[in-house]
Amino acid sequence: MKQVGRSVPGLPNRLLVSGHGTYVADVSLPGMCAMAVLRSPYAHARIVSIDTSRALAAPGVVYVLTGEEIARETNPIPPVADPGLYGGKSLAVRALPTDRARYVGEPVAVVVAEDRYTANRALELVDVEWEELPVVSDAEAALAPGSPLVEPSWGDNVMMHKEFTRGDARAALAAAGGRVVRGVVKAQRYVAAPIEPRAYAASWDAYAEQLTVWSSTQNPHPLRVFIAETLGIPETMIRVIQPHVGGGFGQKVPTFPEEIAVAYLARKLGRPVKWIEERTEHFLAGGHAREEVLSFEAAYGPDGRVTALDVRIVADVGAPATFVGWAMSYVTAYCVPAAYKIPHCRVELFTAVTNKCPWNGYRAFGKEAASFLMDRVMDRVADATGIDRVEVRLRNFIQPDEFPYSQVSGAMLDSGDYPRALRRVRELIGAEGFPEEQREARRQGRYLGLGFGFELTPEGCSLPHTTMLSGYDGATVRVAPDGHVTILTGVTSPGSGNETGIAQLVADTLGVGLDHVRVLQGDTDTCPYGLGNYSSRSLMIGGSAAKIAAIELREKMFKVAAKALEVNPGDLDAEDGQIFVQGAPTRRIPVRDVASLVYRHAYGPEASEVEPALESTRYFRIGNVHHQPEVQGRFSAYPTWPSGACAAVVEVDRDTGFVKVLRYAIVHDSGPIVNPMMAHGNLHGGVAQGLGGALYEHMVYDDAGQLRTGSFMDYTIPTAVEMPHCEIEMQETASPFTLTGCKGVGESGVTGPLGAVASAVENAFPELNLALMETPLMPHRVWRALRDAEAGRS
Amino acid sequence: MKVPVKVTVNKKPYSVEVDTRMILADMLRDVLRLTGTHIGCGTGSCGACTVMLNGETVKSCSILAADVDGQEVTTIEGVSNGANQLHPVQEAFVQHQGLQCGYCTPGMILSAIQLLKENPNPSESDIRHGIAGNLCRCTGYQFIVESIQAAAKAGVKV
Repeated sequence: MKQVGRSVPGLPNRLLVSGHGTYVADVSLPGMCAMAVLRSPYAHARIVSIDTSRALAAPGVVYVLTGEEIARETNPIPPVADPGLYGGKSLAVRALPTDRARYVGEPVAVVVAEDRYTANRALELVDVEWEELPVVSDAEAALAPGSPLVEPSWGDNVMMHKEFTRGDARAALAAAGGRVVRGVVKAQRYVAAPIEPRAYAASWDAYAEQLTVWSSTQNPHPLRVFIAETLGIPETMIRVIQPHVGGGFGQKVPTFPEEIAVAYLARKLGRPVKWIEERTEHFLAGGHAREEVLSFEAAYGPDGRVTALDVRIVADVGAPATFVGWAMSYVTAYCVPAAYKIPHCRVELFTAVTNKCPWNGYRAFGKEAASFLMDRVMDRVADATGIDRVEVRLRNFIQPDEFPYSQVSGAMLDSGDYPRALRRVRELIGAEGFPEEQREARRQGRYLGLGFGFELTPEGCSLPHTTMLSGYDGATVRVAPDGHVTILTGVTSPGSGNETGIAQLVADTLGVGLDHVRVLQGDTDTCPYGLGNYSSRSLMIGGSAAKIAAIELREKMFKVAAKALEVNPGDLDAEDGQIFVQGAPTRRIPVRDVASLVYRHAYGPEASEVEPALESTRYFRIGNVHHQPEVQGRFSAYPTWPSGACAAVVEVDRDTGFVKVLRYAIVHDSGPIVNPMMAHGNLHGGVAQGLGGALYEHMVYDDAGQLRTGSFMDYTIPTAVEMPHCEIEMQETASPFTLTGCKGVGESGVTGPLGAVASAVENAFPELNLALMETPLMPHRVWRALRDAEAGRS
Repeated sequence: MKVPVKVTVNKKPYSVEVDTRMILADMLRDVLRLTGTHIGCGTGSCGACTVMLNGETVKSCSILAADVDGQEVTTIEGVSNGANQLHPVQEAFVQHQGLQCGYCTPGMILSAIQLLKENPNPSESDIRHGIAGNLCRCTGYQFIVESIQAAAKAGVKV
């Protein structure tokens, strides 16, 4: 039986449902100490002095580490993507600062103690003398002349300023004869909030000269590179193990100060050290995302075709750090105008630093703001022209025969059929019968609305000059003498299930059952070098590598089988553990017997012409990535462009502004699907995070740079009650640039809800001139918009 | 300060000494080494640490270990009968992919068992409300709901 295309349950399911997974918190070694982190209570303050003597004197305290020792003993942490290499500003950042704290929650010292309770308690015995400095907690304020500087050596608060142009947007807008829509789209600050917080442990073996680091990370090999460079020791001295990871969503890409502190201290102290993040710490310092303001002007023709778009993006990326998050602002600019053909386009980006938590990677990685912007532009053009919202999108879409399509940023869109997906989702949500449904609800005093969103989620990110962000990965496939298969991958799974999909690809290639396949991931000592999990790359890149390795073994086994069956290798096929003659399946030999011949009869007549053993390590480099510099400094960074047409039906309480999503549908295109159940599961999760962003989740700071949403009571992620049933249909247009045609589904679903829900809330009140441009659509915001629109009408 | 605690966990009696500040979740994990109970927030908001105390679900991060003296606790490890004999609710989660990363899963399964105990034929809305105290960031809950529906349909004895 073929495995690809089957809804196979996740391979680790039995282990995980029974509570026998191993997460970093479960790693326990003799003599293990606990680390606790002292964090800045101020958004911006000078560290006048740190006195550790009281803490060190406390019973049970083993060590206190400060920035002074970090500066003396370690190197700056290499950034995952240095903005300086893409036209922005660089900064060397170490694990702990010596001079200043630049955001609330920045680590300034760590305490190691015999147990966690003692370590936490000793934090209050570390005496820090602070001198408060002026704070800037808003991006526009940060860009204004005379603003306090987050990084004084830069001279301003602009980490990056970028402009992409095609045609002449300003001239086209001026010539549009007033057919111009304008608006300001605001995306709020977000946090990933995996249910497992960050977690690290490390142990040093002085005799073997080996540092073992257990990290709840998505990227063990790059993390090893970064730890080696920071500690100034060879990579071969370090083993990074990624045990089970309790959710990543991009937030667990390297490198955090705490990762370095744990690794450094284990070696320094000669004792195992463990740190488990408290939830409050995750909110304060785990890395945020998404806070962007996008001001647009769009010119359109009488037929609703958008002829020009001018966008100014201001991103508030928090304080400069080693995190990769800042790059999300670049990606937002890079993805405009998403799925649409606009002849005159100008996109200007200001990436501003502020005294807030630095961004780190988060699912959708800036792409969501670009699609949300374009959804809002399309709906405003629909309002202005009176043309149906779906029709406006259809008229502006890139058409299926126009791929590969080059966008203004240098992005090279690979494939898709946007019109078909949008038409289909309109059917799926029941748009035809909706007006009657809406009228009937009105008669009962209920307000229903239907809205549409269209998301474009490029995947397989590959930037020039980075250790981690590149479009290749490796895999080893081994067939044991008994015919059982082991796959070792450079990609990892933080719970997203790619191990199962990769096993399915390899099982089909080798013709064995899934029960004969085991997948090992996340160990730098056993797995081939690889870049780990991000940008939905694990199946399409890691899976391709595994498939290439499996093809190599298949060819080798066919050579041996052909001798045994006295046919040509080209006559053979394999399935269900048998290699057989095509058209004559009774002439066959078990895979197990072929493996046995290779290993046990290396000089025999069947196997003597092949190299002994059945093991192959292969790498796959994906196509459609172009890094050669061109006139605007543009490059094609994303090989594949999955898309999703989304629709939501909402009910709005006119008196309170409360929005309830009644049903949600998505027609998604990420190419051929290896495991439909896993793909649907990823989409469900993406939609939940998207609806969280559309309606509930918001990281709020006050003017002093103090976080006001430091717990799950304040930062509310959806529960099962808030989530509607989600209807999913897959449309499969293959990417011509990947081995399997797969385009990735890991970040999909997150983006569409923003546009679909805003559009649906507006649609609930067709008589009002609502234009909802800011998420989350919390009750007070919707209530205010309704009152303003009513006042405007009367 | 330490206090003695006698507690039955997964039908096995334990006599331990715990710090008076210690929470039940830490006692289960660090003292008894039952690491299937996970901690996601420490403030009773996420439900990852859900266990049964005297047959009722509780959030074990919000109960002091010293307070369970003389009582009975069931953790995820006590739900199945070995690796080859999962609880039917666990089996439903396996088959219907009611999990991804697995971190919230033990707590979610205990809440599902509690729900089915009280209401063997829950509606979709009953299920959603029954697990509202357990946050999951991976699945969007849909396959969790379907797993519980499947377990209910199969007439699971809990």
